[in-house]
Amino acid sequence: MQTIIRFFKTIFLIDLLKGMWVTLKYTPQPAFTFQYPAERRPTAPRFRGVLRLQTEPGTGAQTCIVCDMCAKACPDDLIALGGHREPGHKIKVLDYFDFNLSRCSFCGLCAEVCPTKPIKALIMSEDYELGSYSRDSEILRIDQMYDGVPIEQYTR
Amino acid sequence: MGLIDHRFEDNFITTSIDRILNWARESSIWPMGFGLACCAIEMMAASASRYDIARFGAEVFRASPRQSDLMIVAGTVTKKMAPVLRRLYDQMPEPKWVISMGSCSNAGGPFPTYSVLQGVDKVVPVDVYVSGCPPRPEALLYGLMRLQDKIRKEGTVLRKERIIMSGDTEPTLVGERA
Repeated sequence: MQTIIRFFKTIFLIDLLKGMWVTLKYTPQPAFTFQYPAERRPTAPRFRGVLRLQTEPGTGAQTCIVCDMCAKACPDDLIALGGHREPGHKIKVLDYFDFNLSRCSFCGLCAEVCPTKPIKALIMSEDYELGSYSRDSEILRIDQMYDGVPIEQYTR
Repeated sequence: MGLIDHRFEDNFITTSIDRILNWARESSIWPMGFGLACCAIEMMAASASRYDIARFGAEVFRASPRQSDLMIVAGTVTKKMAPVLRRLYDQMPEPKWVISMGSCSNAGGPFPTYSVLQGVDKVVPVDVYVSGCPPRPEALLYGLMRLQDKIRKEGTVLRKERIIMSGDTEPTLVGERA
């Protein structure tokens, strides 16, 4: 009996039709493609994008205290920063902040150890559009650390 | 495109032909999937229906270098793989481009060791470096759009410059320089 049932299943291609029915069920559904340059998918809250230095929201004052913790935490030594003391100022003034993006593995250890409160000086931003034409532009200098890497807007 | 390359003298103006050829080139970049590590998973995701790299005319991942225009180097290039990569690049027909995808192929990534090639630009000339570890599929699409932008500006007769880095080419940070 089992053999006969299997014989007829084979003849009438029942398994194939079952598979095709699944395909057919998905056919009338709308496409779920993200039209990427036009619509940008929101990132997850813990998404780790490129590093970004933050300033104080109202005043735009520097929040980084040049403690060198991020440079020490980086497993690949990709961060170099330095500053100097000025008479009048309580905290050190940040002179340079270099970040080698080309090797970065976006582990987030540098942003995790950043001790500044209540506004974290070093955060992982939500920018992931990183495409450069040369290795030299993969080193982010201090102005790019504040403003972010410029993103070309493509419309077509 | 061997039809009009090197057929004319320098400064011979071929702007309209350039525009047509560049339009054709930029809108049908057939990549050769050179997936070596986890970046290849994101490359597959970019070619799947969620992100759909076919919207940019680059969906035809060829297994053969003879049929492809673009090499997406996705993943860690070991020194054992480097000669193979160079050979496959040489087998690709002109015009050809290279996208280096991910930190590992950009600069060696977190592997400054004896066995890993410190940047794929030591063996092939790279057009676009896409950062990320691994880059999101959108980042790869962004890199592809950057490449299309580059192709659009390319001349046909005056070829683009091909730079292969040699020696210690990693740009230095200020702290290391001092």
